[in-house]
Amino acid sequence: MRPYPIGLGRLLAKAILALAGFLAVFPLVWTALNALKNNVDIITRVPRLVFSPTLANIGYILGRDSVLTGLYNSVVACGAAVLIGVALGLPAAYAVARYPNRFAGDIQFFVLSLRFLPPVAVAIPLMVIWLQIGLYDTLPALIVTYSLLTISVIMWLAIPAFQAVPKEVEEAAFVDGYGAYSVFWRIALPVAARSLAGAVAFSFVLVWNEFLIALMLSSSNAKTLPIVASELSQQGMNVPWGILNASVVLLSLPPLLFLGVLSGFLNSVFRQKKS
Amino acid sequence: MRRRSSLPVTFLVPTLAILLVLSMVPTLYAIVIALQNRELSTPSYSWVWFSNFADLFLDRRFLNAVWVSVKWEIVTVVATMVVAIGLGVLMFEVASPRLRNVYCLLFIIPVLLPRVSAAFVWKFAYHPLYGIATYPYRLVTGGLIFDPLSKASTALFAVASVDVWQWGLFFAVIVLKYLETLPPQPIEAARLDHAKRWQIHAYVTLPMLKAPLISLMFVKMIESLRSFDLIYVMTRGGPGVATETLDMYAFSQGFIESGKVSYASAMAVLMMIATVITFTMLWKRVQA
Repeated sequence: MRPYPIGLGRLLAKAILALAGFLAVFPLVWTALNALKNNVDIITRVPRLVFSPTLANIGYILGRDSVLTGLYNSVVACGAAVLIGVALGLPAAYAVARYPNRFAGDIQFFVLSLRFLPPVAVAIPLMVIWLQIGLYDTLPALIVTYSLLTISVIMWLAIPAFQAVPKEVEEAAFVDGYGAYSVFWRIALPVAARSLAGAVAFSFVLVWNEFLIALMLSSSNAKTLPIVASELSQQGMNVPWGILNASVVLLSLPPLLFLGVLSGFLNSVFRQKKS
Repeated sequence: MRRRSSLPVTFLVPTLAILLVLSMVPTLYAIVIALQNRELSTPSYSWVWFSNFADLFLDRRFLNAVWVSVKWEIVTVVATMVVAIGLGVLMFEVASPRLRNVYCLLFIIPVLLPRVSAAFVWKFAYHPLYGIATYPYRLVTGGLIFDPLSKASTALFAVASVDVWQWGLFFAVIVLKYLETLPPQPIEAARLDHAKRWQIHAYVTLPMLKAPLISLMFVKMIESLRSFDLIYVMTRGGPGVATETLDMYAFSQGFIESGKVSYASAMAVLMMIATVITFTMLWKRVQA
């Protein structure tokens, strides 16, 4: 084929891409830097790149009871909801993927349509319900509510993952005398494990980042980390910015840990499409 | 051999039953609350049927919130798709495979952040005096003040830019992956016909990707409904009511200002009806 000349347009395109790459991460890097600054180095008209770093902000954040409680609540609520999502969502997804029936399409649409529901429309009635039962502002209430999210998302993403498992492998296992359940346990789950891990990681990021429902379903005991972080800022500029930045960094780290798993998941989804 | 297994029943029925209960109970209860006059301050209530809904249509702040929500959907969806297609095509054209991997990794980072974090990061960046994003403006104008978040004309766009920062970059990765799955022959053929690069994409590759791109837009429309965290942290619906979307207004009616839970629920029910109808229709179309 005819090679295109290396022209101004190509250079410009590369420059735009580099700028976009820079914009993608620089605000975060800047926040992380600010978390290491004393207030005098943040409140400057000209941004300061050179400063004497301090760990005081991070120390302060990690020493606050409210932050630690928020961290604990987030870990427990998200962890439990993801476990429930795995226990209920994966088997259901496998059944839809491998035992097609005439409701399969409707089931998939129902699971997706749960995502259409505006969060406020779910949170307001649930708040009233939990208040009446006496579970308002408790972790169990939050876990049950989040399970709706995790089950549906894990199911939605796991159906194609199970469909991608070669049918022949499962058929061979049946011939070898495996029952339906052991085919699921010993064949389908291990073979699809990598894609499934991506789906599970995605559901964790989703509930970890969730804000509106947690805000409405907690008043003091069950606050998750995003709520605690947002409250720090509501105290206005009295809170040193370094501390706010440190709390943003703490909140953002867990989802970023999954960056590798999730980008691998994305790649595997598209590799299936190609073949 | 598969046919007689009890597996589909034992695997599907409990999960679907739980999903149904977890989704239908709040949905139906939202409608019940909307027909009453519950307030957070008192436990007593009575049935008022449709008067909450009637009040809504006379409430100018509600109508404003509808308009802001519609603006928010249009601005964020269009901007996200433009950024995604633009950057996706650029990566496809000028980035080497190794560089593509680097960009893909970088572009996924913003969307993984909690919305609350993203909102904070940019709230600091947009600070008129000390923000990093307003610094170039201060530098060029010799210290003039530009405060995008507290001007009614720019606040919505400033918040929307954060949404596009998260989703536009992420979708650029997906657009690139779609372009990579295309067969090379039509592109080669167009090249032999001396088509320019932008023409190849405008007339060959993007039309070939019409269906997945529309699905992508559909996903973004659903996700754009979840604007609450960004707006809550960055502007709280302000200045005035310039960025007060429906969920923000419902929240402030129900919890911050007056505790009118029923009134807020009526709003939520209208939103729910509108989104479920719209998206069900769109989905059937996308599938067809």
